[in-house]
Amino acid sequence: MNNKFKYSLVFAAVTLASGCSSLGVEPWERDLLATEQMALTSSPIDSALDDHIYFSKEASSGGKSFGGGGCGCN
Amino acid sequence: MKKLREIKLAKRADGFCIQFDAMASQCEVIIETSDPALAKQLGEQVSTEVWRIEDKYSRYTSDSLCSQINQSQGKPIAIDDETFALLNFADTCYQLSDGVFDITSGVLRKVWCFDCSDNIPTALAIAKVMENVGWHKIKYDNRQMILPINMEIDFGGIGKEYAVDRAIVLINSVTEQPVLVNLGGDLATNSSRKNGQPWQVGVEHPGFVDKKTIVVSLFKGALATSGDAKRFLEKNGQRYSHILNAKTGWPIEHAPRSMTVSAPQCIQAGILATLAQMQGENAEQFLVEQGIKHWAIR
Amino acid sequence: MQLINESKSKKTVNKKNLKAALTLATTALLGSVQVSATPTSVAAEEDTWSFDSAFLYYSEADRVSAAEAVFNAKKTYSDDSILNLKLTVDALTGASANGAVAQPDVQTFTRPSGKGDYEIKAGETPLDDTFHDTRVQLNAQWTQALAPNVTGSVGGHLSKEYDYLSLGINGNIAYDFNKKNSTISFGLSHFQDTFTPEGGLPKPFASMPLAYHDSDDESGHDATRMGSDDDKTTSDIMVGFTQVINRRMVTQFNYSYSVVDGYLTDPFKVLSLLNNQGLAQDYLYENRPDKRTKQSVFAQTKYHFDETILDVSYRYMWDDWEIKSHTVDTRFYIPLGNGSYLEPHLRFYQQGAAQFYQPFLMEDDATPEFASADYRIGEMTAYTVGLKYGMKLADGNDLSFRLEYYRQDPKSAGHKAPGALADMEIYQSIDAIIAQVSYSF
Repeated sequence: MNNKFKYSLVFAAVTLASGCSSLGVEPWERDLLATEQMALTSSPIDSALDDHIYFSKEASSGGKSFGGGGCGCN
Repeated sequence: MKKLREIKLAKRADGFCIQFDAMASQCEVIIETSDPALAKQLGEQVSTEVWRIEDKYSRYTSDSLCSQINQSQGKPIAIDDETFALLNFADTCYQLSDGVFDITSGVLRKVWCFDCSDNIPTALAIAKVMENVGWHKIKYDNRQMILPINMEIDFGGIGKEYAVDRAIVLINSVTEQPVLVNLGGDLATNSSRKNGQPWQVGVEHPGFVDKKTIVVSLFKGALATSGDAKRFLEKNGQRYSHILNAKTGWPIEHAPRSMTVSAPQCIQAGILATLAQMQGENAEQFLVEQGIKHWAIR
Repeated sequence: MQLINESKSKKTVNKKNLKAALTLATTALLGSVQVSATPTSVAAEEDTWSFDSAFLYYSEADRVSAAEAVFNAKKTYSDDSILNLKLTVDALTGASANGAVAQPDVQTFTRPSGKGDYEIKAGETPLDDTFHDTRVQLNAQWTQALAPNVTGSVGGHLSKEYDYLSLGINGNIAYDFNKKNSTISFGLSHFQDTFTPEGGLPKPFASMPLAYHDSDDESGHDATRMGSDDDKTTSDIMVGFTQVINRRMVTQFNYSYSVVDGYLTDPFKVLSLLNNQGLAQDYLYENRPDKRTKQSVFAQTKYHFDETILDVSYRYMWDDWEIKSHTVDTRFYIPLGNGSYLEPHLRFYQQGAAQFYQPFLMEDDATPEFASADYRIGEMTAYTVGLKYGMKLADGNDLSFRLEYYRQDPKSAGHKAPGALADMEIYQSIDAIIAQVSYSF
């Protein structure tokens, strides 16, 4: 992948970070965000099982959470 | 005269609506439940609480604690915990507004009569009444207060909103069903509706016949409105709002005619709406800077 | 008459923070009076346990299948501290590619135990069918507030297979600001693994047939070995930023830096040594570098429409083995009413080959420093299509089913297939089914 993309991603993150004073909600507007389906990892067990499968079948791991070692996984 | 007090229970598609009159307003409690007994119980408890607060703090009721305080002739008068807490809250509002909000400012109505006329009082008359205005002249602690002679206090600016919040506290101790309490436009809810959708609340602006009702989606928390289109004076093209600056005795200039604010508690929403109005032409900016959601009509 | 001390009762108020001052005053006001109604259904806050369990079955066509069971117990204390304990047990059986390429003739390989052979038919990708392993994993995680807006978490990990032991610790700290709309987090994790493969660790590029040349004489075998066990450490650093965009949308960005150090070779994998007609002359054990530095950026967004929720994430990973990968993962939550829902899942994955990946070795070429024919570090695309159905049971517990199809398509990274290999399928696709049942109570 070219570096341009990396920079644009970093740029997006910085834009979001600096713009956060206008982003967000009041505590009483968290009705939707507070639902368990809106949690970033809404199903931790599924995520862990998937991570284990893809860790042992592909060359990449982690990203969302720790990639870890943890098994022989042949 | 004993007031006629009754509650009306009506079935709605998604629950029940209880209506009653209190604090010179139409009041309603909407509850999403299929249990009529629970609805009736809540209606009775909420109305009883609201009437209790009205009886205790209305200056229009001659035997209220408020009237007793106002008739105390400068003598110490015993107060209870609830009154002490309300006085503390009023004190906070006084300090936050630098004295513009003052529960002793009610005596100004002796010279200011907001009847849409051009009846503007003279500066001399105002100055004379202002001698009896000033929260700082009041002494109180958790057991008693001393109100100087000729001064009056008035819970009108916070009483209704306080009643809304008290009703929610009460409801939360009884049920987890979604309930909305609306005391004449000052309202609050304990949770979003059962379908996860917000309460659709029409914010009515009394007197603004040409203005469409603003519909506000409320998930949780409260709304309060300050301002009344029918209450103003007008002279030489200058409009005087009924929001008085307790420091000067004069109306706030260029205030929005109506300001609706949302906050977690109704009493916060109410005081924020009033404090915003007191900023005059900077009312909206004041709330924007605080990051507070609001709807203004000018 | 009692004198009232004015200064005692009237407080000064910080005008700078209007909202905070009002909240304080409101709390004092509303919390100060006893509620006059008799409470009838007050739920007291107390410690609560919740349990999640899942059973997953993973099966590749003609290759490995795995069964995995998870039991998770989570205790939430009244101060919102969380203790999470997880037990995972899995069992793996079946065949796995041993790295050698298909041939026009029958190929014979010795099992890693040294006991017995397995034959691969002409034209088929050599699979070692001896894999069966049982693994037990324990995880414990403790999460608690360290200060207002600061959450800390520490955890331990233990995983044991008969030939593998992994111990891990991790720590994470998160800081919420901007009314908890923004969160920055920083995490560290460290794993210490010990590998004791059956038959010991083969020497780089040692000949597999030579090792098992004579089953009565161990000296030939021992000459190809360099020990019985080795270690691997994995150290990760992760920084994250989470931002609530509005009432419907939340996003997350992570950056991870990971160093894996130690024995990274797969002791069961070989490479075919081909002559210039493409015919296998020998099978040599692979050899990988003993260090790998990985980095990744990860972005995720969740958007709540009126009813449905869209979850999209992207990961870019790159490492000093020159592997680069893109992963896009999408889920779409569709509530069906009464607590039941459908959730389609789409995942796309693409990776480039490691710099030392090669599907075979050529007799005429010099032996490289590192080489592996493991398709998992070769060029590959993969996708997953799945559907999850969840329902709320009458007793309030959750039951869900998940069925997914996973396909891997290894691709040529430009290695020219000589002679006999032209007709062989070197890059064989793999089809797998993932089926899962979960129950939460």
